[in-house]
Amino acid sequence: MNRRYSRLILAAAFVIAAALGAWQGHRVARLREAEAFYRWMLAAAVDERLFQDTSSEYLDRPLLETCNRLAAGTPQAAGLEDAATTAVITTLARDLKNDRAIWALAQGDTLRPAREEFLKSAREGKLQFARNIGYIEAQEGNVGIFSLFFGFRKVAANWLWIQVDRYWHRGDLYRMVALMKTCVLLDPNFIEAYQIGAWHMAYNATAKMADTPWALREWDERYQACVGEKERYYYFAIDFLKDGIRKNPRNYKLYFDLGFAVYKQKMNDYANAVKYLAEAVRLPHDRWVPRQLYICMELNDQYEEAIRGWEDYQKRFPESELTKEIAPRFIRSNQGKLLEKLWEAALKQAEAARNTPEYPALKAEADRLYQQALEHWKAMGEDGDVRRMRLEALKLREEKRWFEAVALLDKARWDAPDQWEEFSSLIIQIKQEGGIPLSLSERKAIERKKDEGHCAGMPESAARKST
Amino acid sequence: MNQLVGVFRGPWAIAVYTYREGIRKRTLIGFLILSLLVIFGSSFISAFLDPTSRTDIELKLIKDICVATISIFGALITVFTSASVVPNEVENKVIYSILSKPIRRWQYLLGKFLGAQLIILVNLALMGILFFAALYIRQGVMPTLLLWALLLTYFEFLILSAFTFAISTAATSPVLPTIGGLFVYITGNLTEYLKDVQNRAGQTGKWLDDLLGQIAGILYDVLPNLQNFSLRNQIVNGMPNDPPTDVLIPNLMAYGLIWAVGGFLLAWLIFWRKEL
Repeated sequence: MNRRYSRLILAAAFVIAAALGAWQGHRVARLREAEAFYRWMLAAAVDERLFQDTSSEYLDRPLLETCNRLAAGTPQAAGLEDAATTAVITTLARDLKNDRAIWALAQGDTLRPAREEFLKSAREGKLQFARNIGYIEAQEGNVGIFSLFFGFRKVAANWLWIQVDRYWHRGDLYRMVALMKTCVLLDPNFIEAYQIGAWHMAYNATAKMADTPWALREWDERYQACVGEKERYYYFAIDFLKDGIRKNPRNYKLYFDLGFAVYKQKMNDYANAVKYLAEAVRLPHDRWVPRQLYICMELNDQYEEAIRGWEDYQKRFPESELTKEIAPRFIRSNQGKLLEKLWEAALKQAEAARNTPEYPALKAEADRLYQQALEHWKAMGEDGDVRRMRLEALKLREEKRWFEAVALLDKARWDAPDQWEEFSSLIIQIKQEGGIPLSLSERKAIERKKDEGHCAGMPESAARKST
Repeated sequence: MNQLVGVFRGPWAIAVYTYREGIRKRTLIGFLILSLLVIFGSSFISAFLDPTSRTDIELKLIKDICVATISIFGALITVFTSASVVPNEVENKVIYSILSKPIRRWQYLLGKFLGAQLIILVNLALMGILFFAALYIRQGVMPTLLLWALLLTYFEFLILSAFTFAISTAATSPVLPTIGGLFVYITGNLTEYLKDVQNRAGQTGKWLDDLLGQIAGILYDVLPNLQNFSLRNQIVNGMPNDPPTDVLIPNLMAYGLIWAVGGFLLAWLIFWRKEL
């Protein structure tokens, strides 16, 4: 009798353990749902803040708006400025430090309706950024990639990557691009695949192509830009990196590559370079990231921000060789350019008020700033020579001493090849103003410039903007 | 206290003896050597890649290959160990001489189960150490996140081991429990499909369709889901201090532990009145 009861007790214990296991499994499943929701919120917030892709028919944006609305009254929103309380998740996602707050919201009851809506929409495949979140993929059904490789999809992605490498050496570019996309589909956290893939597209694929002449470019509605074959690859690289950023919003490398390798190095789009490098700096990063940001700020005429950045860098790494040698040079260079900018603005203001009683005072202020800038470049010695020559040439231009101005700029551009384009354009302008005949290459440059910013199929609004 | 120590002294002695016996098995040594070779070989994977591009890609390849190797060979070692510890003794008739001593059946089972866990842990540690070394040599910093990934892998094996062990208590040879263990591993990793079946059910409007959906839903809720432990891949390649990961790890450990207790209780239940 005793034995029978013991067996019953044992069976009951097993049932209790199984029930506890099922209960804990239920808890884990809820946590994984919250995790998927959390990762989606980060991705959607990044997209909302940085890319603002309104072209898709997915439901990510309206759902993020719902999340922002629901989160408005929560304690997590308490510390935010008034303007940010309507976009709590988007604002919180700006800073890595707020990840725990977003996670708390993702798990909590306040966002429960949004979480349920997220799970429903994700299972129906209506959310763009919920893809490639393992749990959601598994829930979405069909022959999910999640289960296709029985949990070893990352290994499959690695083997595919080796094949990509082979295609690259064979010059099989078109096959390579398709396979790269499969790689990141299998392993959305394959950061190196995004980085190297974008590098292949922006650099290697275009290495032997000449820039497409503007007359041969076509308007691309998707990119809102005039593109030829070469330029299209730059945009492919941008798309690829943006895709990587949405799936890995907390990895600085992708922001850095997008800002530095593509926008700065390839497209000379310094405004976007600053935008993405500033994002990279918000996350745990290597030391060269802020340096590139400050350099791009300088190229984007943001001299004051660049100076503040370099000074901050000096404070953070006082022992670094770069702090001792390079940072002061950059600071002085930015200070000089800032003075130039102030002088140019003051001069423009004075010219606008030429026939008014304020003119003498405004002109005197402009002259004072000019002297200040000139002295600054002189004090820099050899490092400031090129900018000093530019400044002196501009003064000569003002005095209508055209030949001297051109001669000075011609010398300056040979001393500073990185500023060749800027000085050459200035020479052309001065020659045109002074009625000096242009060389053949200068006439060609003018012809090229005429087409710049315009292409076939370009809508009028874009053409007006470009002009 | 002394009484309690006395109760567990017997199982511990059996566990140590099971471990000593199991660690010498050729099949397990074979699996271990193969896995160590793959882990060691993963360091040379860069031979397939462009030597001019200096990236972290080799590191990622090593991590992924090692995690997959540990999962596959670890699961095989777990299944073969858990499936054989009891049936082998039944086959060899050693069990009769043990059970004739003043030891209860549950103590014998506990000893065997603990012995199997020791074998699994030692094998996992050996594979983990080599993986750890491969990463340390390559990146020069301690890959501490790896410890969490290995810990999760062990808890996955704990569930697999407990249920294979339960099947083995009903068998007289290791063949059936081995097949059963592999089945548990495969189905445990495909549990997510049940949710898909549930989501798709009801489309035809027929009662059988609805019923199938409900059954799939119940099974999804009740059966252990080994795919939950795929979090380890996320940990190895992810960022430190990821809030969801920090919460999921202890929950998954508890999940593994509860199901392991469940599996052991099932084994006990089956073994309770087994005719020997």
